[in-house]
Amino acid sequence: MIEVEGLTKRFVDKDVVDDVSFFVPEGEVLGFLGPNGAGKTTTMRMITGFLTATSGRVRVAGLEVERNPLAVRARIGYLPENVALYPEMRVDEYLRYRAAVEGVPRTEVGERVEAVSERCMVGDVRRQLAGTLSKGYRQRVGLAGALIHRPPVLILDEPTVGLDPRQIVKIRELITELGRDHTVILSTHILPEVEQVCRRVLIIDDGKIVADGTPDQLRSGLTGTAELKVQLEAPEAEARAGLEALPAASNVRSDGNGRFHVTVESSADLRREVFNLAVRKGWVLLELAQTMPSLEDIFLRLTTRDAAEQEAQNEEVAHA
Amino acid sequence: MRKLLALVHRELLAYFSSPLAYVVLTAFLFINGYVFYLIVAYLNDPRTQAMAPLKLIFGGTIFFWLFLLFVVPVITMRLLAEERRTGTLEVLLTSPVSEGQVVIAKFLASLVFYLFLWAPTLVYVAILASHAKIDYGPVASGYLGIALLGAMFLSVGLLTSALVRNQIIAAILAFAVLVVVFSLGLVENLVTGAVAKGILGYMNLWNTMDDFARGIVDTRHVVYPASLAGLFLFLATKALEASKGR
Repeated sequence: MIEVEGLTKRFVDKDVVDDVSFFVPEGEVLGFLGPNGAGKTTTMRMITGFLTATSGRVRVAGLEVERNPLAVRARIGYLPENVALYPEMRVDEYLRYRAAVEGVPRTEVGERVEAVSERCMVGDVRRQLAGTLSKGYRQRVGLAGALIHRPPVLILDEPTVGLDPRQIVKIRELITELGRDHTVILSTHILPEVEQVCRRVLIIDDGKIVADGTPDQLRSGLTGTAELKVQLEAPEAEARAGLEALPAASNVRSDGNGRFHVTVESSADLRREVFNLAVRKGWVLLELAQTMPSLEDIFLRLTTRDAAEQEAQNEEVAHA
Repeated sequence: MRKLLALVHRELLAYFSSPLAYVVLTAFLFINGYVFYLIVAYLNDPRTQAMAPLKLIFGGTIFFWLFLLFVVPVITMRLLAEERRTGTLEVLLTSPVSEGQVVIAKFLASLVFYLFLWAPTLVYVAILASHAKIDYGPVASGYLGIALLGAMFLSVGLLTSALVRNQIIAAILAFAVLVVVFSLGLVENLVTGAVAKGILGYMNLWNTMDDFARGIVDTRHVVYPASLAGLFLFLATKALEASKGR
């Protein structure tokens, strides 16, 4: 449904988005993850046609954005990061206006406004001026506006920023529901959101894609490491040697009281081996747990390593 | 077409729900009323020669031009600069409407508002008609001149509003450009070369308006403001398209 090929955006001399390619099949909910300033908004703006790419191509439903801007825009419902409404318009007026601009047939306008107002839970503020709405309502009115023409593709830029926890839950539920009959790209830097809502995650950092996969794949295969927690009644040095000899185990740390933390360099479950080891050696096993890394760990590992590298580079430049 | 109407409608709503519109409207009525009084008082003086009072109102005094130069930038400054500043432009330009449609809609809305400002001056026509015989031809052509020159001035304001995100800067830029456009024609009186005089005379807006007020609808006077308006609207569209590159 959405094809992005070698997309690059250069501002002055910095590549804000650098050769990004990905494909979103119909009906997928893609989480677009990255620290602030990674290039999420710029990428989304290029998909919607609000910004033109320096190079690369974007196709939505087979249509190239550069060549058929209006046809592509008609297929996208876009919620920008800072939802801006016209303060002097009432919510109802605004939705009717959006319907006309988006090309909703005149006879269907009333019915559509009803439908999106209900879906986005803005029914109780329909007579209110947009300028007087709270952030949560503004966000939902913006979303209602983006849905009015029933676009097959939804692009939502940080839809839950600035909302209170209850509203966040509501918006997430709504996005999950929309994901059933829309192709969605959702950008965020909130990780639980991605875990809950998205079937696939794309992590972008410094303009480049650093990971792509389902949350489970990211946790295990690609970049994941697990953490093994073991507590043994055993001679310290011997236990350490035994644990280090396990396949895929690295970086064994101990606190000196028989508690060990082992980093496992794959998704392999080492608990069985540890148990067998303890039985063989006649050690008493007091605690044994293997934890999968959270997306947060992956995210931090992927994005902070680069940040550290960059800092080192900056320092080099400063010294030179 | 329906999209265009929706855009124009929204823009008019924005005009008439902002206090600025009413300030401009009130100031305009006040100044114009005063000028009308002055002109009528002046013409009632037995020592002055007989003249058509409406001819003086339509471009015959400096007040007319001051109004156009000052007020038009105020009318147009908000149009695109404000949308860019608040971010509503992002929603607008990702809707299935072209940049050209957006520019035309904004232009039409500002033109409607501008003509709305002039509408109360029809009362002066009615007042004069109740006291004397009026030749309606020059009145009609006078209003045509007001509409044409207004359209041109508004298109300049729309262009500067497309270029910057600060309304005040948009207004000042528009004012500067308008002063140049307006004074360029007045240079006609300073040059002596026949060619230069001819070219500058073509651009002399004071004479253009004067002719309209006399009832002369010269095609040159129609083509010049209309083609300039077209040029500035085209440039505004290009400015809007170019802003997507940054």
